[in-house]
Amino acid sequence: MSVAGFLELVINGLISGSIYALIGSGIALIYGTTRVLNFAHGELLMIAGYLVFFFAVTLGWNVFLASLLTLVLVGAIGALIQRVTIAPLLAREDWAFRVIAATIGLSIFLQSGAQLVFGERFQSVPYFFRGVLVLGDLRMPWQRIAIFLIALAIMAVCALILYRTQLGRIVRATAQDAEAALAVGIPSGLVHTSVFVISAVLAGAGAILLSPLISVNPWMGISYLLKGFAVVILGGLGSFGGAVAAGFLLGLIESFSVGFAPTEWRDVIAFTFLIAVIWVRPNGLFSGREA
Amino acid sequence: MTEVFGRRPFLVLALLAAALLVVPFLPLNDYVLHILTVFLIFSVFATGWNLTLGILGLKTLGHHAFFAIGAYLSAITAYYGGVSPWLTVWVGALSAAAAGVFIGFPILRIRSMPHVAIVTLAFAEIVRLVFSNLKDITRGELGFWGIPPFDPITVGDMTVRFGIGNAVGSFALAAVFFLAVHLALLLLLTSRTGLTFLAIRDSETAAESLGIRLSAWKLFAFGVSAAVVGLSGAVYAHYVMILTPTSTAGPEMLITLLAMIIVGGVGRFFGPIAGALLLTVLSEVLREFGDFRMLLYGLVIIVFVFVAPHGIAGLRLGRLRKAERAEPGTAGAT
Repeated sequence: MSVAGFLELVINGLISGSIYALIGSGIALIYGTTRVLNFAHGELLMIAGYLVFFFAVTLGWNVFLASLLTLVLVGAIGALIQRVTIAPLLAREDWAFRVIAATIGLSIFLQSGAQLVFGERFQSVPYFFRGVLVLGDLRMPWQRIAIFLIALAIMAVCALILYRTQLGRIVRATAQDAEAALAVGIPSGLVHTSVFVISAVLAGAGAILLSPLISVNPWMGISYLLKGFAVVILGGLGSFGGAVAAGFLLGLIESFSVGFAPTEWRDVIAFTFLIAVIWVRPNGLFSGREA
Repeated sequence: MTEVFGRRPFLVLALLAAALLVVPFLPLNDYVLHILTVFLIFSVFATGWNLTLGILGLKTLGHHAFFAIGAYLSAITAYYGGVSPWLTVWVGALSAAAAGVFIGFPILRIRSMPHVAIVTLAFAEIVRLVFSNLKDITRGELGFWGIPPFDPITVGDMTVRFGIGNAVGSFALAAVFFLAVHLALLLLLTSRTGLTFLAIRDSETAAESLGIRLSAWKLFAFGVSAAVVGLSGAVYAHYVMILTPTSTAGPEMLITLLAMIIVGGVGRFFGPIAGALLLTVLSEVLREFGDFRMLLYGLVIIVFVFVAPHGIAGLRLGRLRKAERAEPGTAGAT
């Protein structure tokens, strides 16, 4: 394998890994703080895809304005989902499974809803960044490089908020013990909602970055949800840093798997890796700080 | 125990048997018989899944993988090996059980619901992709057709034929299969084994302190559950005689079965049967609005989780309990 070919595999792995990290860290954040598995997380991706398509293509707005508005709206939808479907269930017995069931129901409801409203058309958003980076034999469109850099920046901001600000301390305190946090005056209900907003924004950012590369369609969330879940388990459930690291690792594994197996086996290899890890290290590869 | 089985489970099963015995003598057309056959096969699937999901309390989300494994392995052995489906269905069931133990072993040691849910779901995705990618054997998403039906049985001068197109024979076979599996499971679950499962569901720690070997029992339940689901898949394969990876192991199968179990009642022995009947009939009635089926299933799941979490089987019990229980805390405090 040539150096350029090897580098291309690494870069491709980091690019898809950064999307997995964005989605996985959002799921991990929610799980770490509220012990909730949100199966409708993939549909936030789908909704954000349609929103950015609507603003940037149908209305023809500037992509940055379109992205900003999409993120705000997706955050609001995340808050709505948490308030309306998840929070009321948390007070009931056996809530953990009920939340899973309810969010699975919500997920399929939103998918078929989108299918009915938008049809089965597969639509793409044009590239935000034109041009191709040429380094020797290596050719990489700027759009793909931008995905990696922007995703990295967003996750860095998130990590800064979590570990260096008062809000982050409040979130982590609620994650450790919601009742104790309540006792010292932290409104844990509000914290849970804000965690959902952050996580929805992370998913929305992933969808916006992806929208020029993959088509926007009702089912775009499914495979990314599964990858996000795999990342969360690999990274050690509920660990933000672990999910980010596992996201990049999964991206690299998939990218290199294409080197020795046909593309259609890529996901089989990724999920088999997950099960192999569970056999050896049931608690995940990285034991990071709880989100 | 009465919460799971009702007061007289064997009487209920006998009544079901009587009802199924009457059906062939009713003036029903082949289409209705076909729907009833599908309902019978799917209720065995739902009951098998309910074994881990409700009765043992393990929240697995990948049982459609075992359905696909049972269906495909039985179909492949019968098609390529020329073996009678009467024998290959057991190959399907055993392969599903082996897969269940294989995937159960790593996850059952950790008592974490998310691990169980996610790993089983990922396993189902692996199974779907493998059957879809092995195009030389399964023809992938084009569909594996030409699966032989069950060999006909001749009693005296009467020959009973099976497979799609032979509605009465297929219905009779599905009914016998349905009754046999439910009777066997009822015998198993009303014995000490069933008590052990319920003890594990109610408190793993307490069960373990009484000397119950948690991992071994969970693995056993997982294997039995996978075998039942695999068997239902195999019977399905030789009934419809065509399989595609997405229709057997795709997300729609997961949603359909989950809806049946939740509507019927998670952890109620007869619940999934009621759920399967209701949803099979409902989706046939709504067939002309094909696109709305998944929308409806999603909505049904959400509504039942909120309004009737114990399903139709638990409607009365659920209402009593709600009156007794003071709702702890409000949404804002969580």
